[in-house]
Amino acid sequence: MPESLIAIGDALPYLLRGSLVTLIVVVGAMGLGLVLGVPLAVGQVYGHPALRRLIAVYVWFFRGIPLLVLLFLFYFGPCTAFDINLAAFTVAIIVLGLISSAYQSQIFRGAILSLPEGQFKAARALGMSDLKAISVIILPQALRLSIPGWSNEYSILLKDSAVTYALGVAEIMARAHFVATRTYQQLPLYFAAGVIFLVLTWMGTKGLRLLEEKVRIPGYSTHGL
Amino acid sequence: MAAPILRIENISKRYGKKDVLQGASLEVNKGDLKILIGPSGAGKSTLLQCINFLVKPDEGRIWLDEQEVHYAHKRDLYAYRQKVGMIFQDFNLFDHLNALENVRIGMVKVKGMGKAEAGERAVMELERVGLGDHMQKYPAQLSGGQKQRVSIARALAMDPKVMLLDEPTSALDPELVGEVHAVIRDLGNNGMTMIMATHQIGFASSLASEIIFMEDGRILERGTPDKIFNHAENARTREFCSKITELYGER
Repeated sequence: MPESLIAIGDALPYLLRGSLVTLIVVVGAMGLGLVLGVPLAVGQVYGHPALRRLIAVYVWFFRGIPLLVLLFLFYFGPCTAFDINLAAFTVAIIVLGLISSAYQSQIFRGAILSLPEGQFKAARALGMSDLKAISVIILPQALRLSIPGWSNEYSILLKDSAVTYALGVAEIMARAHFVATRTYQQLPLYFAAGVIFLVLTWMGTKGLRLLEEKVRIPGYSTHGL
Repeated sequence: MAAPILRIENISKRYGKKDVLQGASLEVNKGDLKILIGPSGAGKSTLLQCINFLVKPDEGRIWLDEQEVHYAHKRDLYAYRQKVGMIFQDFNLFDHLNALENVRIGMVKVKGMGKAEAGERAVMELERVGLGDHMQKYPAQLSGGQKQRVSIARALAMDPKVMLLDEPTSALDPELVGEVHAVIRDLGNNGMTMIMATHQIGFASSLASEIIFMEDGRILERGTPDKIFNHAENARTREFCSKITELYGER
């Protein structure tokens, strides 16, 4: 299939620039999800019952509505209503980030709850405020335990980011589709897109695995029993 | 007679319908070692945790150095907890910090000391409990006895006026109990005021200034080790002491 190889070769630089867009969207969304997810998790574990319910509704909302629906809602909703001119790219990061914050909050919540109760107790017994005990004792441990779940979240976000092509974000999928419809080389181009996604998934999960090993607490194994 | 350093009056705690503490009162003088004994579920642990408000009592008042503790005021509560060291049965060392950092973190994050100064003090406290060679080890790399000694060093570094010890040797292999007892004995000899729950009555009777027998959330009897172990007035006290002597050997 020399023709298809040529098609892939021709489109590759264009597709790779798309993978940069994909990566920025994914990293941005993960970052936003982290920044929002940590306080959400802390609020859900240690917060006032009213706050916990509020957070539960937030999580339900962002986990319950399909990504595509949320993308359109945000793109045509607030942006049009308030005449905010947000690029599709920005909307993609915000929407994916909000959804990810809901999922990440549950990763962190599970990690916090898996720590022995005595950690928080001992911190308070030293005279730490709840907030200090959480930031100094609980989160450093909980975030370490969250890395495997985070790796999951990364690979899901990476694949979900392909959906933002519906808004016209020039990521991998949008570019593959664009070239494919022009050249009629659908199969090779979507194949190339799939391979790029596979490589990006591998790189990300590998990177997080290295991070997990790097921040490992001496005396604990990350390799199973 | 000087005023007691710690005074606990009428502490009660209920969980649902169960009264776990029913009006426990206690006066502790400087240098005292009060030993709490009694069957599990007697309320020893709850009493200790009520004393530093890790468990909020439903009723009762506490004075430290004749100052009543207003635990609803967060600032007062945090200041008070710094002065009351707590040792837990299962150590509760911070798992992500090595021994040195475990001892240092309270001084740095609570007292606001500089890292270097706090580090020096931490080294001193760890050497005092015989762990000068293990300062860089993490909790998972230490034996139970070593962990408990780190936790004692961690409490001591805060300059507590009173130490609460909640069955400090119950989770240890028998052969490791001695090294922790040695550290506690040393503390007592240096005048540390302590309240300790334990089943190690041999150790208790040799050191205690007073033994307090608890059951069903009440203090049933108190007195010198000799009185409680040999001439207890209460039948339950006698029964418990004879059983526990069988278990933990001759005193």
